[in-house]
Parts: sequence; structure tokens; C-alpha cells
Amino acid sequence: MTSIRVLIADDQMLVRQGFTVLLNAEPDIEVVGQAVDGADAVTRVTELAPDVVLMDIRMPVLGGIEATRRLTEAAGTTVKVLVLTTFDLDEYVYEALRAGASGFLLKDASAAELAHAVRVVAAGDALLSPNITKRLIAEFSRTAGAPRTPRKDRVGELTERETEVLSLIAQGLSNAEIAAHLVVAEQTVKTHVGRILTKLGLRDRTQAAVFAYETGLVRPAGY
Amino acid sequence: MSMGAGRRLTNAARAVPRAMREDLWTTAADPLPRMTRPRWLARLPHVLVAGFAALTFANMNGHLYGAGTDRSATIVVGVQAAALIVAMFRPVPAWWMATSALIVGTLVFGDPYPWGLSAVVPHAAVLFLLALRVRPRAVVETLLITTLASLACTKFEVHGSPDIGWAATVFYTELGRAVVVFAATAAFGAILRARRVARSQLLAQTEVAAEERTRRTVLEERGRIARELHDVVAHHLSVISIQAQVAPHLVDDPPEELKENLAGIRQNAKEALTELRRVLGVLRVEDARSEEARHAPQPTLDRLDDLVGNLRAAGVTVSTETTGEPRPLAPGVELSAFRLVQEALSNAIRHAPGATARVLIGYDPTSLTIRISNTAPARPAGPSPGAGHGLLGMRERVTMLGGILASGPTPDGGYEVFATLPAPTLQQPADYAEDTA
Repeated sequence: MTSIRVLIADDQMLVRQGFTVLLNAEPDIEVVGQAVDGADAVTRVTELAPDVVLMDIRMPVLGGIEATRRLTEAAGTTVKVLVLTTFDLDEYVYEALRAGASGFLLKDASAAELAHAVRVVAAGDALLSPNITKRLIAEFSRTAGAPRTPRKDRVGELTERETEVLSLIAQGLSNAEIAAHLVVAEQTVKTHVGRILTKLGLRDRTQAAVFAYETGLVRPAGY
Repeated sequence: MSMGAGRRLTNAARAVPRAMREDLWTTAADPLPRMTRPRWLARLPHVLVAGFAALTFANMNGHLYGAGTDRSATIVVGVQAAALIVAMFRPVPAWWMATSALIVGTLVFGDPYPWGLSAVVPHAAVLFLLALRVRPRAVVETLLITTLASLACTKFEVHGSPDIGWAATVFYTELGRAVVVFAATAAFGAILRARRVARSQLLAQTEVAAEERTRRTVLEERGRIARELHDVVAHHLSVISIQAQVAPHLVDDPPEELKENLAGIRQNAKEALTELRRVLGVLRVEDARSEEARHAPQPTLDRLDDLVGNLRAAGVTVSTETTGEPRPLAPGVELSAFRLVQEALSNAIRHAPGATARVLIGYDPTSLTIRISNTAPARPAGPSPGAGHGLLGMRERVTMLGGILASGPTPDGGYEVFATLPAPTLQQPADYAEDTA
């Protein structure tokens, strides 16, 4: 199995070096490069084609969220962005996820959490902690009723079962949990998830969850 | 119901003597109003009153003394004239003086008391000075007492032309004329007082509002400073947490004690960060900055060139100069120095459009000096809401760091802001300067 190629974008040298040491200690992860700001990150991604970018939000020249937007909107890229920041401010979470980030992690996360996050994001799975999922639900139900994405019509292309799976993804359930919920094999769920992402033109489960909330597909009770 | 009304009437009647005692048995009065403009005329009213008192004395004394009365006339007239002077300082006792003089004068000399012109005018003047400085209720009371007292002196005999209608008779009797003059001067004084009271209330309200605004601005600025500094601290703590995790990887076979120790450092940093995030959550209620600003690290003096570059691109002429050997400073000082320059330049642009601005940064061994000056505006500045708030914020920041801030106009018509911030030379790792996000 080839290792996951990671690029680290942060304006603080100590942070870049620290994450490099921590991630290189993992056998299946390789840090292929570092970027000192958002603009540098965009350039390096084109050069190095990493699988995952660890992106700081507050950087000079070009902030991490705008850099994420440029990276994920660029045609033909498959790079996943994992946003790492000092603050878990809600606005940062939403801005990062709307900009196309696949996950959100605090900088003081443990080495194990960091490595796990990189693996999950690289595999295209959602990295939504229950805490963040809950806040996402709150935020999107606050703005619900005004779906802003033009992709809404694509929901119609989903089968009934796929729509059901999508709403479960949006609630932060893993494949195994969805399989248990729907009483089907986990492999079947994986197939559904793959089809959903293809049909909706989405990058990963996180973006599928964001999509579900933004289109108002999921209107969780209790909010 | 009629009983209720009756009781109310009784109560009101009972209250009258107390009210009158309050109003008329006192030396208290509003402070004497002064002429504010021009300043050298501030004492003019006093001089005029004194002159009027002297004239009254001379006129009446001559009149009475010449009429063959004895020296006691001088005393009565003297009291009447003195009442005018006293009225400038203690209007209520002065009115008592004048009223007594009126009664004594009538009993001793008769005409021109109580209603002759030369007796009425000085008394009216005392009433006017009184009305300027006590409330209208007291003025009405003094008017009534004056009228009753002088009526009593004449044993209620009113001379006039009895052939005209009653209403018009008022103006043809000595009593009627006197009361009209008293009432008119008192009313004039009361109106002037009402105007003054309204104006000073308005002024007081304006002052309160201005103070409130200043206080709010200072609090907002403190909130902003606290937010920025906590932000800087949080970034440092997260670096500590990362470094504590990285350290064991840097040596082969790290001893258990070292690993435990580092885990302890990390744990503490994490806990402190959690608390800090809470504090920041409180402070960050409103963050009206642009997305660009929110996604940029807290600035340091390194970013001064960017700031000046942006201003130049916007057509502002700014020059910068650095003296001494630049060195990395404590993050709080770097941040505050940057904000100071930013704020002062933005003030300069707002208040002195078209002027040339100049930024001087001086690194001394123990302090950092910042001087931001601009030349006279090339054209008049437009109205600028929130003017002056910039300086308040600067002062808050500088005071917090134990520095000194001075600001003011320059001889050439420009403006200058000068600050000294204590900045001891720090011992730091080589890459510290970069490490202030």
C-alpha cells in the first residue's frame, strides 16, 4: 500500500516542523512538502500533487479558507483539505466546510488524532466529530429554508435508499452504523455512498453532509 | 367625593405656609449667571446694578431730603439701594430688605411711597434679580406679599379715576401701575431663568451622553485589545502543545521521565487553551473585521511595509524610516505598535486629506519609539463620525504596556502622534520572530 502524501501549510515554522515529525513517524503517512502561506500552498499542490493538505486558517498573503476554496474548486484535483486551527470558532468550521474542506481539527490534537484524521480524510470518509456535527446541524437549521446551492435539483437523481443514506451521513453516522440502522451489509452502504458522491459530484462524505444540510434535505428535529 | 376634594383642599391649604417658608425664609438661590461672551464683560451686569443702586440712592435721597425730611430718610433710601446690591448675592433676603424699606418709607414719609415711580422702580429691579434666580412659585409669592404689604400701608385706599371700567381702571390707579410693573419685570426675569435652566439641562445631558460614549469606546477598545492579546497567547500555547508532542520523537529511546514530563506540559497547555477559547468566545461577540482580516495572523511590525504599501496604492503619500537595530519584540508590543501606526495613519487620512504622512520607528535598547506625523491637510476634511476614538484606543494600548503617548498639532498645521513603549531586549530562539501568528 502506498503511503498517504501530505502537504503542510502553516505560517509558523515550529508548527510545520512539529506536524512533519509527528506525521512522518506514522508508517503509512509521508509529508512531501511544506507551504508558508495560502498562495504557496496552492502552488505546492500543483507541483507535488499531495493526497491531503493540512491547512492553517490564519496565514498571511492568502488565508487558509480562500486557499481551500481555490484548491477544491480547481478542475480535476482530488486533493483533500484538512483544516487545522487554534480556534474551533463556529464561523471557521462553516467557512472551512463550505469552502470544500473535508475535515476540521484543532492544532492541539494528539498525534494519534492527527494521523487518524489524515487517514480518514484521505479515504474520502467524513471527519465530523459528534460535536461539530451537532453545531453544523444548529447552524444549518438556523439558515434552513434558504438553500443556496444550485445543485439542489440533483437530489432528484438519488434513489430513495440513497437519499436515506445521505441523511444518515449528514447525521455523522459511519458506514457500519448506517448498515446497522438500515439492516444491510456494510459493503452495500459503501456502494450507496460511492453512488451518492458520483451523482452529486461531491468530494467526500463531509461535503455530502454539508450538501444535505444546505439543500434542506436534513431538517433535524429538536432544532 | 366632595369630602375627598375638601380634604385635598385642606391639605393644600396646610401646605401653603410650609411652602412659603421654604421659598421665602432662605438665603439659597441659583448661582449668579454670568455673561460668557465677551469674557472681559463678565462682570458688566454687576457694575450696572451697582451703578443703578447709586443712582437710586442719589435720586431718592435728594428727593426726600430736599423735601425737608430728616436724616432717617437717608437710612430708608440707603436700605432700598443696598437691597439692590444684596440682591446680586442673596436675592430672597434682599427682597425682604426692599419690602421692609417700602413699608417703613410709607409709614414715615408717605409719598413717593409706596407707589411713586421712584419707589416702584428699585423694588421692581430687586424682584427682577430675584426672579432670575429662584423658582417661579417663590416669585409669585413675593409679588403677592409685596402687593398686600403696600396695600396695607395705604389702608387699602386706592386712588385713581373711578369713571372708567374696572379692567381699565387697573392701569389708571397707582396700585394697578405698580403691580403691572412688578409683574412684568418679575415675568421677564423668570423667562430668562427658564431659558437658562433649559439650556444648562441640555448641556448636562449632552455631557452625560458624551461621557457615556467615551466610556463605551474605551470598553470596546479594551475588549478588542484583550481579544487580540488572548489570540496571540492561544497561538503560543498551541505551539507549546505541538512541541511537547514532537520532542520525544527527536531523541532515540526517550526516557520515561522525559515522556511523562512532556506529556504534563502538553496536558497543561491543552487545559490552558481550553480556558482561553472560552475567554475568547466571550470576547469575540462581535468581530466585524473583514474575512481577509479574520483569516490573517495578528500583525507585527514586520507587516508595516504591507500596510504602507496598501496606503500608497490608495494614493496616500507615506514615508517610513527606522532608526536603531530592529529586533523582535514581545508579541504584545509588536501588535500594539502596528495597531498604533495603523490607527494614527487612518486618522491622518481622515482628518488631513491630501497631506503627507511620515512614520518613524526607533529601536532603542530598552524601548520602542513610534512617531507618526502628517503635514497640514491639502483640503478641508469632510465630516468624520467617530472622530477622536482612534486616540482613545491608542492611549488604552500604550497605557496597558506602561508606555507614554503624546499627540497634538504641529506648528506647520499638521498633526503628530508620539509613543514610547517599554521594550527590553529579549533572548529568543532564532525563528521566534516568525512565530507570532
